[in-house]
Amino acid sequence: MMLENDTLVEVKNLKKYFNVGKGKVLHAVDDVSFSLKKGHTLGLVGESGCGKSTVGSVTMRLQDPTSGELLFEGKDIFKCKDKKENLQYRRDMQIVFQDPYSSLNPKKTIRSILAEGYQIHHTVTKGELNDVLSLLSEKTGISKDMWEQYPHELDGGKRQVVGIARALSLNPKFIVCDEPVSSLDVSVQAKVLNLLMDLQEEMNLSYLFISHDLSVVKHISDRIAVMYLGQIVEMADKDTLFSETMHPYSIALLSAIPKVDVENKVSRIVLKGDVPSPINPKPICRFANRCWMSQQICFEKEPELLEVAPGHCVKCHFAKESRKLMAGAEKTGLNSGEQI
Amino acid sequence: MKGKILIRRMLRSPQFVIGFVIVITIVLVSVFADQLAPMDENLNHITARFTPPQGISAYFNGGYVLGSDELGRDILSRVLVGSKISLTIAFVGTICVATIGTLLGVFAGYFGGVVDDIVMRATEVTMAIPSMTLGIVIMAIFGPSISNLILVMIITSWKNFAKISRNQVMIMRNREFVQASRALGGSGWHVIMTQIMPNVTTPLLIQLSGTFGGIILTEAGLSYLYLGVQLPNPSWGNMIAGGRTYLAAYPWMVIVPGIALMITVLGFNFLGDGLRDVLDPKQTR
Amino acid sequence: MNQEKDILLKISDFVVEFRTETGTKQAINHLDLAIHKGESLGLVGESGAGKTTTALGILRLLPKHSAKIKSGIIEFHGQDMAKMSEKRLMEIRGDKISMIFQNPLTSLNPVFTVGEQIAMVLRKHKKLNSRQAMEEAGKLMETVGIAKERIRDYPHQFSGGMRQRIGIAAALACSPELLIADEPTTALDVTIQAQILELMKSLQSQYNTSLLMITHNLGIISELCKNVAVMYAGTIIEYGTVKEVFSNPMHPYTKGLLGAIPSLDDHKDRLVAIPGEVANPYHLPEGCSFHPRCGCKCEECMKVPPEMVEINDSHFVACWACREGK
Repeated sequence: MMLENDTLVEVKNLKKYFNVGKGKVLHAVDDVSFSLKKGHTLGLVGESGCGKSTVGSVTMRLQDPTSGELLFEGKDIFKCKDKKENLQYRRDMQIVFQDPYSSLNPKKTIRSILAEGYQIHHTVTKGELNDVLSLLSEKTGISKDMWEQYPHELDGGKRQVVGIARALSLNPKFIVCDEPVSSLDVSVQAKVLNLLMDLQEEMNLSYLFISHDLSVVKHISDRIAVMYLGQIVEMADKDTLFSETMHPYSIALLSAIPKVDVENKVSRIVLKGDVPSPINPKPICRFANRCWMSQQICFEKEPELLEVAPGHCVKCHFAKESRKLMAGAEKTGLNSGEQI
Repeated sequence: MKGKILIRRMLRSPQFVIGFVIVITIVLVSVFADQLAPMDENLNHITARFTPPQGISAYFNGGYVLGSDELGRDILSRVLVGSKISLTIAFVGTICVATIGTLLGVFAGYFGGVVDDIVMRATEVTMAIPSMTLGIVIMAIFGPSISNLILVMIITSWKNFAKISRNQVMIMRNREFVQASRALGGSGWHVIMTQIMPNVTTPLLIQLSGTFGGIILTEAGLSYLYLGVQLPNPSWGNMIAGGRTYLAAYPWMVIVPGIALMITVLGFNFLGDGLRDVLDPKQTR
Repeated sequence: MNQEKDILLKISDFVVEFRTETGTKQAINHLDLAIHKGESLGLVGESGAGKTTTALGILRLLPKHSAKIKSGIIEFHGQDMAKMSEKRLMEIRGDKISMIFQNPLTSLNPVFTVGEQIAMVLRKHKKLNSRQAMEEAGKLMETVGIAKERIRDYPHQFSGGMRQRIGIAAALACSPELLIADEPTTALDVTIQAQILELMKSLQSQYNTSLLMITHNLGIISELCKNVAVMYAGTIIEYGTVKEVFSNPMHPYTKGLLGAIPSLDDHKDRLVAIPGEVANPYHLPEGCSFHPRCGCKCEECMKVPPEMVEINDSHFVACWACREGK
């Protein structure tokens, strides 16, 4: 059991709504809570538009939340107005972006991209800058030849490494990784994932790892939260989530991934339809209209995120039954054709 | 490496080469206008009025290369000195217009909200006013002078820069590298100056060249109405106006400054289009 | 590479170069590939391997001003498409060979209704009148799982997954003999991707169309294809049945690719990354393009490009080290 004070980041009831006019409110993030321990990784997985990136950018305070708390080492930093303290939080929390093409300023050399943090915070003198940058480059495997190059001269993987190095430059404790490997090729993706994991071990970093790719999330995370339409529908430790998947959406998501394994072809659950609009959602289960086991109650009442087992939370009226149903479906050879 | 590619692209764009040659020639000529002019541009010579163009040989023996006007003044000298006045006005005007327009546009784009609303409504208002009419009104109220002329240019042209820079900033504002700079703790000013501005320069540079040509035209137009550069100082606009009455009999009085005006504006427009080819090759292909 | 007579499309010694400001880019490098009737072939590789160039090259849709087909024969029904007239090519495109593009948003024309766009293909190739064509388009839309009533809707009124279904409907309109799908699900979410994959699976068996599936996702290949060709630096380096190649990869690159994927099923602590970088197409290394990144290279690898050798009748590999049985 971990102790309470191991918690580095705690997000409570985070909401982010966007007014889209004519009384329409887009619920991008709707009541999301999670906590993250020091040196751990929380994977946040979901499809496009589910609000996972918004969670990341609100946590980074790149956008203001509609409501909610963000406790960093026990202090609510959404409420922090002190300029100096805010700058300190900026140093403690950093972000790595998805697209290594747009995340680096095309008109700056790699050296000046890496040096930006030091220049903003004046943490090192001009004389020390080169030494600090050398150290940073060594840690992340950036060769000094790259310093005077521009981003467009590097390939995607190298750029992403520069993005990671920039995030590390201020010695943060917590890094939001917003789809950091989604736009990379598999062989490069492996390199970046390995680097992230090595750095985590070395610097005792905590990651909020946002991705749409369950297999990547599984590889890097300790705990995983599955998001659907602005809400966390299931959250559990990695192994539990994969071995005892309970929410029907998580089950469908898992089965949707094309597997390389040529021997064991499992039947898959193909969800019908598309993700509904997050504008003015009704207070019912948001997955109900695509769910293969939805019943009357799902269209009447919103289920709560309940802890069904220690550390395993599910937001479904039929959390316990879904697994049985799934097992039954596999036995009877329920296949995709019937599901469309 | 990068410079090489730029030079290659420059040489490959005929518009850029032509525009560049014209502009450089005109700038050099106007800088050395006083030295190049064969006579004093205001020297009257009543007996030699309406002398037709005598050709290049006249340059060295005190003749009228491009003819003379109704007071016997040398048209070549007046065109040369006139270019100096026109280009100075255009140069100062363009710098003022670009600075004011860009600053307002960048602020509107970065901060959005009310700032953006105010600036954008203001551009719409200026777009609704015909620039010539506005020029006439301002000159009539404040009196014709070069500083008032520049004021007219600023009021009528700032919107071009404001709109371009605002749009560019809006695109850049949500780029991840801008977010990254904010995440590192960069202030608004820091983000604008170090991250956004370097990426906005290309379209502004292209606009700069076009505006230059436009301002020369506006100046000529106002001078034609005797509301710009005042006589006896020569300007292409007032020279064309002066020659208007004698157009049928002595057409060179209009044709010479007219051609000078046309080539100059064409040169700057070519340069602007050429710059687009050179700096932003994706847009044309 | 079995029975010659079953071959639908045969590409041999295909070389494509791109002329750019920075130099000449070797996009396709002596590529040989054959697609049989009714076969589903996966073409897999990382970005820059030349997958899309191959697809566009087959249909001769490469940008004229920069791309140059240096050599090669693209034999389709005994005719060489590489030397075909534009008029003849236009008859083949969309009729005998059609294509599904990666981005369903940009591959549909926003100013026409989806029905019109499907009908357009039918009118051109099947010479139907517009009423017949619209009727046929409605049927096709139902085949791909979209209600006929939406035939007069515009592309922007559909979601990404639906648009891709329409793209598939248009591609299948004339029951083509070969369907080229260029990363058809890359822009889509996993659950939508699953829908499209299931659809393609059922349609392929229904229409008995040959499929060239281009993707970087090994999982999709394994789901959808019988055979796979692995591409690196513009050439095929391994070919065989999916089962053979994925369970017994021979080429070091294929091995690396499979090792680099995080798997849902087994627990790997570290992924095996392939060292080095993807070969620079402006300066391809001599010999085997993969040798600078290869762990088992020999003298020969650095000098002579390897030839395809047969491992067994359903597995071929272009690697000197594999030939020597290392």
